[in-house]
Amino acid sequence: MKLSKESILGLIALGTFLLLALIAPGFLSSNNITSMMFQLPEFGLIALAMMVVIVTGGIDLSITYIAALSGVGAALMLTNGYGILPAIIVAIFFALACGAFNGFVISKIGVSPILVTLGTMVLFEGIILAITKGNSISGFSDGYSLIGNGYYLGLVPLSIVIFVLFAIITAILLSKTSWGRSVYMYGSNETATLFSGVKNSRVLMKVYLYASLLAAISAIIMTSRYNSVKVDLGSSYLLQSVAAAVLGGTNIHGGYGKVIGTVYAVMIFQFIRNGLNLLGFHSSLVDVVIGAILILVLAMNFFSDKFKKVAETRKAEKAA
Amino acid sequence: MKKLYLLLIAALLLVGILAGCVAENSGSSDSEGEAEAGGSEGESAGGEEGLDIAVVPKLVGIPYFNASESGANEAGEDLEGVNVNYTGPTQADASAQVKVIEDLISKNVDVIAVAPNDPASVEPVLKKAKEDGIHVMDWDTPADKELVDLSVKQVDDEEFGRHMAQKLVEAMGTEEGEIAILTGGLSAANLNLWIEAAQKEFDENYPGIEIVSEKIPTDEKQQVAYQKTLDLLKSYPDLKGVLAVSTPAPLGAAQAVQEEGLQDEVSVVGSALPTDSAPFLEDGSLDTAVLWDPGKLGYLTVALGKMLAEGEMPEDGQEIEGVGEITVKEDGKTVIMGPPADFTKENAADFDF
Repeated sequence: MKLSKESILGLIALGTFLLLALIAPGFLSSNNITSMMFQLPEFGLIALAMMVVIVTGGIDLSITYIAALSGVGAALMLTNGYGILPAIIVAIFFALACGAFNGFVISKIGVSPILVTLGTMVLFEGIILAITKGNSISGFSDGYSLIGNGYYLGLVPLSIVIFVLFAIITAILLSKTSWGRSVYMYGSNETATLFSGVKNSRVLMKVYLYASLLAAISAIIMTSRYNSVKVDLGSSYLLQSVAAAVLGGTNIHGGYGKVIGTVYAVMIFQFIRNGLNLLGFHSSLVDVVIGAILILVLAMNFFSDKFKKVAETRKAEKAA
Repeated sequence: MKKLYLLLIAALLLVGILAGCVAENSGSSDSEGEAEAGGSEGESAGGEEGLDIAVVPKLVGIPYFNASESGANEAGEDLEGVNVNYTGPTQADASAQVKVIEDLISKNVDVIAVAPNDPASVEPVLKKAKEDGIHVMDWDTPADKELVDLSVKQVDDEEFGRHMAQKLVEAMGTEEGEIAILTGGLSAANLNLWIEAAQKEFDENYPGIEIVSEKIPTDEKQQVAYQKTLDLLKSYPDLKGVLAVSTPAPLGAAQAVQEEGLQDEVSVVGSALPTDSAPFLEDGSLDTAVLWDPGKLGYLTVALGKMLAEGEMPEDGQEIEGVGEITVKEDGKTVIMGPPADFTKENAADFDF
């Protein structure tokens, strides 16, 4: 039986879960499971956003600052007495504006994504600092805090429901629409894609817009969960999200990547972080373990790809 | 394309419906959560011995919080029946810190002491900890006053500011002359309190001291403090002293004084860590660094955490072993560790933070 990269990763996720359930005290307590479900969505959404960008062969280093800026937008609306819905709309609008700017410079002017988003990362950070002066904005209504802290039907955290919903939407968009197919095509070979009649710049623009939309959703969950927003909101997720996307099987050069792989990777990160915390590991050691697993899985992927290629060429030789 | 839009609209509608359900159902789920939490807490209390005290710094892996970690661990060894769990995020990110606290709640510790990166963002999680029957306190940086059972502060802001002012006058060797004040940022609440206290001290006891300009912000950066001090030395050739609050500012000011060779003419006093300031203390470009001992702060946090879990509250003037006499403010839950510590040329090498 042949297993895909993603199914193997799913098994690894299941394995880590079972292992930690055995060795970490209180890992399976309902309290801990719920707390993990609350912790996962904000990071998961950013990882999905990063994955979509990486599939095109790009990277979005400004993603967490887009999230922070859109969080600031929501916070400003809420603290000035507007309702929840206008706040969410403004948050999404702020993020889309940032995404459109990234998309414009990358797709129309053609500067490489890592440079553009490195620049906009500093730019957005500066804008947030100018608005907030480095202070945090806090004190939102109880209704708003339900988005990140409430339960859906009294059972599952609402935020995880939102995450699952957006994971499904992302999967459908990538695999079932012509835009999704163009994204993969662009990632594997942009010249060939252009010559097959795809408007590359439009595809790219939508990629950065969609990534920033996911960042906005993540920002709404985060601001609601923490009841405040600050310039560094979620900044620790930036490189972690790249790691999660790559661990999830996304090709860093573009052209390949699946939503389910990224979701598994996010779950693995979540289990390990939480489990090691429960076991009382020092935080820096947690980073070491996650780094080691990342390298291990990437090396495994690399070698399995290589063996596959070797096997294929052998087969071809035999046939010849 | 049409399909895509339809899909998105359908998704949006779905979200709307979901949102509707949540508002109505959250009340019942909350109580459910509490009931579960109560059950699991009971289990752990029976199974484990000793008190679990968790100390959460702003981040781990910087000298200041490493020093408080060794202090906290020392307290764990000295005090009977206490397991210290010193854990924090590896980046000073509020969301990472909240996750650490959430995991500690899952672990059913008895006391959580937190130095919040952003006081507002830990509010919901501390509330949750309290609902689960965990004693909540803050240390180093205050969290929401209503929420914590105990608040451990390193120094009294008023005393700290006045102390720095006195040290500056002492270093200048004269009670007359021009001085300037550098600060980390204009909106930092604790820095402003210190500066106000210092200004009061100058006004009341040293009328001969003239402050040449408003307090000068340095963006919490040594490089900026260095530039601004160079400018100051040019604009005010008679400048006798610089008071620099926030930890990078004194270093930058001292660097400027060192470069201009004005060690004997201009005195610099400020709040800085001893290891950072040692090279400047050496040649007198920085006269005194004033701060507190973060190791003691960690020790005191654990000691008070133990008292809190055992149902005692600290009293004003109480002697804490290994720390000294503490002060308790009128509200009964703000504890001040003690007087500030001075780091000079002679003793700076004795500290490892």
